[in-house]
Amino acid sequence: MMDTIGFGVVAGVSVVSALYVVRSANLIHAVLWLALTLLASAVLYAMLEAPFLAGVQVLTYVGGVVTLMIFGVMLTQRHDGTVAAASNVRNWAGVAAAIALCTLLFVAVGRSDLTTGTPPPATTTTEIGRSLLDEHLVAFEALSLLLLAAIVGAVVLARRKDHEAGDATVPTSPPSARRGAE
Amino acid sequence: MTLANCILLASLLFSIGVYGLLTRRQAVAMLLCVELMLNAANIVFVSFAHFRGGPGQIFAIFALAITVAEVAVGLALVLLLYRKHGDTAIDLASETKG
Amino acid sequence: MSDPALLATIALVAPAAAALLLALVPPLRHRGAPAAFVCIAGTLVSFGAAIGLLVGRAPGAEEVRVVVPWLQAGGRTIAEVGVLVDGISSVMLAVVTLVALCVQVFSVGYMHDETRRGYGRYFAYHALFLFSMNLLVVAPNLLQFFAGWELVGLASYLLIGFYFAKPSAARAAVKAFWMTKLADMGFLVALLVLFVTTGSFEWTAVPTTAVATAVTLLLFLGVMGKSAQFPLHVWLPDAMEGPTPVSALLHAATMVAAGVFLVVRAHPLFELAPTTGDVMLWVGAVTAAFAACLALVQTDIKKVLAYSTCSQLGYMVAALGAGSAFAGFFHLGTHAFFKALLFLAAGSVIHAVHSNDLADMGGLRRKIPLTAATFGIGALSLAGVPGLAGFFSKDLVLTQVEGRAGWIPWALLMASAFLTAFYMGRVFIKAFLGAPSAKAEHAHEPGLAMTGPLVLLAVPSVIAGLFGGTLAHFVGAEYHTHFGLTPILASAMALGGLAMAGLVFGRGREVALMRTLRSLDSGSVVDRSWEFLYRRVMLGVSGVLGWFDRYVIDGLMNLTGYATLESGSAVRTLQTGRVRDYALAVVVGAILLSLFGVLR
Repeated sequence: MMDTIGFGVVAGVSVVSALYVVRSANLIHAVLWLALTLLASAVLYAMLEAPFLAGVQVLTYVGGVVTLMIFGVMLTQRHDGTVAAASNVRNWAGVAAAIALCTLLFVAVGRSDLTTGTPPPATTTTEIGRSLLDEHLVAFEALSLLLLAAIVGAVVLARRKDHEAGDATVPTSPPSARRGAE
Repeated sequence: MTLANCILLASLLFSIGVYGLLTRRQAVAMLLCVELMLNAANIVFVSFAHFRGGPGQIFAIFALAITVAEVAVGLALVLLLYRKHGDTAIDLASETKG
Repeated sequence: MSDPALLATIALVAPAAAALLLALVPPLRHRGAPAAFVCIAGTLVSFGAAIGLLVGRAPGAEEVRVVVPWLQAGGRTIAEVGVLVDGISSVMLAVVTLVALCVQVFSVGYMHDETRRGYGRYFAYHALFLFSMNLLVVAPNLLQFFAGWELVGLASYLLIGFYFAKPSAARAAVKAFWMTKLADMGFLVALLVLFVTTGSFEWTAVPTTAVATAVTLLLFLGVMGKSAQFPLHVWLPDAMEGPTPVSALLHAATMVAAGVFLVVRAHPLFELAPTTGDVMLWVGAVTAAFAACLALVQTDIKKVLAYSTCSQLGYMVAALGAGSAFAGFFHLGTHAFFKALLFLAAGSVIHAVHSNDLADMGGLRRKIPLTAATFGIGALSLAGVPGLAGFFSKDLVLTQVEGRAGWIPWALLMASAFLTAFYMGRVFIKAFLGAPSAKAEHAHEPGLAMTGPLVLLAVPSVIAGLFGGTLAHFVGAEYHTHFGLTPILASAMALGGLAMAGLVFGRGREVALMRTLRSLDSGSVVDRSWEFLYRRVMLGVSGVLGWFDRYVIDGLMNLTGYATLESGSAVRTLQTGRVRDYALAVVVGAILLSLFGVLR
């Protein structure tokens, strides 16, 4: 019983905050709403007997990714100091696609046999650790390589190139005027 | 809290993410929506691992790591976009117009 | 060291190594003198090996054939490369390398004023040329022969166009290449026909008479190009644009001789096709007479010799056509010596007076006595004065042609013999006798590098004829002389021609005959008909084909391209360049795919 109530609360928080993520007009708010969604997921993980994953979710997602996102928003704010308007465009297509997808997924869930017997014993953190360094070792190492490549790539992409330093880094005219010109 | 409920929740979150991806104007906001969708996928992994066993948690960890990589590169791209146009509106990046 | 195959390989590899060395080590080439050293060293080794081959070989010994597989397909060897050593190839190898050696040593003196880079380039080409020629001489089958044949064509193109900055030289090189390439089409088709019908490229392939006739006629087309037979001879006089030693090498012992050598080599094949023999007999005789007439009216000393080469090649071809490979080969050998001698002597003359024009010479006898003497020996030998090399071989050719095809080829060749003596007499008188011209006043004898080869070549030009019997014995052919009508008549022709030249030109009188001949200037007639053939016929046909290609074939192509472009533009609007649209496309695609999965 407690289980069901807990799930209901978590699900409600997730969905509502997710809706705020996609609708909020203020980007900073959207990021913070995302943080809430992710926290709710972390709680769900804990309820699903995945405490390690819940911890990781909080540490990397909420702690890392969301912080990174806030940096991203801050770094790219308009030069007049305001954060860019995060309005939505072409709602009908998005709504239609989302509803179609959701319906489809619901139908698929309805048609699938998702009955469960007694849940198997929960995966312990020890097991996860062993498994990562044992049967998933190659994937693990490949992943570390991927992360390295991503970091190097991000640095290369974001680095100011010398020939840009003079002009494009800080547009001299207000962005609105620039946009008008385009 | 059944497996079906968890999957339905994930589906809902995923669809919301899709909606955001298709309608958001800002590149950073689109990245947020991608995060939502990936998170939904992770919920499915963990749910199956809980109710049916299997290496779902491991998958979720890998997915997390890949998400981090994606965010790093994505934000770098956003920065480039910003440098070029002074804004992060995604429609400014239309160099691939045929 | 007496292994024939090894010696032949050395003879083949030495110039190849020299050519490679000069090609791959630019400093060597750019310094000039080292290039000459490398090239001549390679030739010397090659010559030594050839002599070793000749000495170590018992007359009439078995042929030695060492090959390695070259082209393999369908589980069998289609062609081989290697060396074939028999009497013919060892003699030919010795002749080629000896003449090449003389020419190269001569070049050291002759090309002395060249820039160092030009000097190096010149010798690099020479090394390549000698390798190509040797490759062809020792070829164990037609395919390797063809490879050498084409390489010779390439090397001669490079050498003729050595002064490529001079438009006439560049044109001459292209013309030589063009004409010989045209003829080589025949060779190529012959190869294909032979392979398709007999499945081999061997010299000993035995096709049916019809096939043999076709193959040999096609081969002969190649020979006509390479050995400058009428009417494909037009490149040869123009090829005189190259340095004079090059002319000596190309037109005496090697390139033009390759054609004759091919027929000698492929003689078993040619024996199967009597029709081809008749064609060759006529072509050879006509070429001999025609070119001799043209040689008479040239004012350029090298062009006289060029047409003379043409004429002598006509003799060889006629002999081959008459069925006597040995007569052709014998004349090829003696001619190689005295013609190389004549060209080198002419080079010495040109070196002395800095002009090719006979009018600029005269009275050189006193200025450059050694050159005059050696040129005289060559001229007498070429004229066929009894006792000298040219007499024996020409006599043999005439004997072989006796009575064939109603005596007409014989008569033509006999007349050519007279003309040969006549024009050689004319050249000698004009260049060496009489009063010196202004340019000839300052002439002086060149250095040892140039006179040495002249003397060296003068020796075989005199005595080579005496070894006809030995040579025949060596290559396993029959040789018998008989003192019938022909030798006597031929001697009379030679002496008569010389005497007449003396009468006509000795007193500085130009007779009406000369003027008539010159006004005809038939050389340009042939040139002009080739030009007509090229300009009108070939370009006309090309024009029609070009139109078809441009509007029908290309039209189809363009239509395809146009349709692609148009449909591309139509689809192009899908690419809005907006990420959102692409994302939508992805989502829609995903939805459709899942729909398929759900509804299944």
